[in-house]
Amino acid sequence: MAATLRDVTTYDLKLAAPLAAGFVLFFVTPLAILLALSFQTDPQGGHYGLTQYVNFLGDRFSLGVLGSTLWLGVKVTALTLLLGYPVAWLHQRSPGWARGLIMLLVLLPLLTSVVVRTFAWVVILGRQGIVNATLAWLGLIDTPLKLLYTDGGVVVALAQVQMPLMVLPIITALGRIDPNLADASSVLGAGHWRTFRKVILPLSLPGIVAGCLLTYAAAITAFITQSLIGGGQMLFMPMYIYQQASTLQNWPFAAAISIVFLVSVLVVVSIFNALGRLSRGYANA
Amino acid sequence: MLLTRRNLMQTALTLGAMHAFPGLTWAQARPLVFATFTGSWEEAHRAVLVPAFRKATGNADMVLDPMLSVDQIAKVNAAKNNPPIDVMLHDPGPALQAVAQDLVEPYPVEKSAYYKDLIPAAQVPMGPAPFFQVVGITYNPETVKTPPTSWADLWKPEFKGRVGITNLNSTLGTGFMVELAKMHGGSEANIDPAFKAIEALRPSLAAVAANPGQLATLFQQGQIDISPGNFNAIQILKARGVPVEFVIPKEGAIAFKTTIHIVKNSPNKELAFKLIEAALSPEVQATLMEEPYLIVPTNTKVAIKGELAKTLAKDHAEIAKKFVFQDWAKINEQRSAWIERFNREIRV
Repeated sequence: MAATLRDVTTYDLKLAAPLAAGFVLFFVTPLAILLALSFQTDPQGGHYGLTQYVNFLGDRFSLGVLGSTLWLGVKVTALTLLLGYPVAWLHQRSPGWARGLIMLLVLLPLLTSVVVRTFAWVVILGRQGIVNATLAWLGLIDTPLKLLYTDGGVVVALAQVQMPLMVLPIITALGRIDPNLADASSVLGAGHWRTFRKVILPLSLPGIVAGCLLTYAAAITAFITQSLIGGGQMLFMPMYIYQQASTLQNWPFAAAISIVFLVSVLVVVSIFNALGRLSRGYANA
Repeated sequence: MLLTRRNLMQTALTLGAMHAFPGLTWAQARPLVFATFTGSWEEAHRAVLVPAFRKATGNADMVLDPMLSVDQIAKVNAAKNNPPIDVMLHDPGPALQAVAQDLVEPYPVEKSAYYKDLIPAAQVPMGPAPFFQVVGITYNPETVKTPPTSWADLWKPEFKGRVGITNLNSTLGTGFMVELAKMHGGSEANIDPAFKAIEALRPSLAAVAANPGQLATLFQQGQIDISPGNFNAIQILKARGVPVEFVIPKEGAIAFKTTIHIVKNSPNKELAFKLIEAALSPEVQATLMEEPYLIVPTNTKVAIKGELAKTLAKDHAEIAKKFVFQDWAKINEQRSAWIERFNREIRV
């Protein structure tokens, strides 16, 4: 009879076939075309070579754009973590009704479009915006500060726009921690701070890593927020690619810088992933 | 027919597929597709041009598919033999690119009833210009008490930290740079003086917008008080109650032809011709000149009236005098190098 029993521990791979086919058709194929395009030496096509990559990697300006984009991601991720972790912590420590409220507040931004949220920041950061108006009313400034079209403005706006991506994974990670562990820690004589540093923080690391990964990827590719808040004087990779592809119709160069961008992001992502693996080891130890 | 589960599924799937890929049902004949621009252009064309076309053709089927010039070119390029668009609308830069990439048919000038009535600048054999876009100085009358009279006013010390410009991605931004070059002894071939002028403008700059649409937001937010601006975009802001005014500087307004083209290999060439004829006709152009569209006509049979006569020019002779047309064939040669340079020099 044993032969007729189905092995319930393995699943039929055919179930994943539709999604896999979708991926091959709409993701792998365009990526292959993009890669092929990036080796064309001029927009008219014909010759193939590494010209576009040499142009990008040999140009300090282009490397500067790449560097500032990756650095922007770091700043946004750090700020989001700094502001997001306490929110997740608060959510964990609150009574039921407050949890629902905090969750709603965290999710609310996801229910409006990024464009709308970004325009709200234009209004907040403008010369006659909320920040400047408040500072002027308090008598702290005489002339409005320049907040819009500055690096700081972009970081703050992106941090708010991407906040849910950071908070949600951390809430999940904190929720999985057995509350008895914190009690045990204090019984053994550790204060609040020590409990947090030695018990809660290490155990929530997988959530932090996942949140950082999502926030980072979303922040560096946020074309709309970067261009609306950053303006024309700040150039980041998404706008650079758009400019080359759309305005200049220089598709090979645009393809090449997309590939360079993709590879750089993959490097950063694998660093995060390695950290994630380490942290899981830490959390299980 | 028996209503079994199987054939019910089949029917549902077929209907679903037809819905998901409407192209399936258009295998033979499809309606005329006109790729106009988004926003106020689409509104104007839907309200005035489409009805005129329907009347002229006995209700022929047509679709507006608004998109940016560059997207039009990309789409037609991707399917040259069976283009998804029949009629394209372009700013001067992209128009020349479309012609250079062999994407458009020459306009059948000899068949056209209106082509000869267009002002000379609008008579383009590869696609005539049914409208102009006009760029002058935009300012906030609440903070700028004496209306500016020259592009040079942007450099005045009182506008320190109040000036807005756009980068060169747009026709407006590039045209403005060319005008600056000309003011300081340069030309379409020699842009250096414009970059020097922009360098001198730096302390005055409150914003370098990533596209002209952002300038509108910046005026609304009081972020800038003065900038180069598109006449039609300003009219929309004004209609919404934003305090902005438009003036033509004494150097003249920067004018762009918006040209309309029949796409090569279009299956609807005859209808495409009729749509363009409608766009060139004095009736359509006269209606589009009125509120709220205020689109500058190119047909000399249209007498200029209303807001246009007040702010821009009272007749076609004055248009010829006050409007500066730039040499976009020359500009296109070096535009990518300029964009590159602008990226580098303006970056903070």
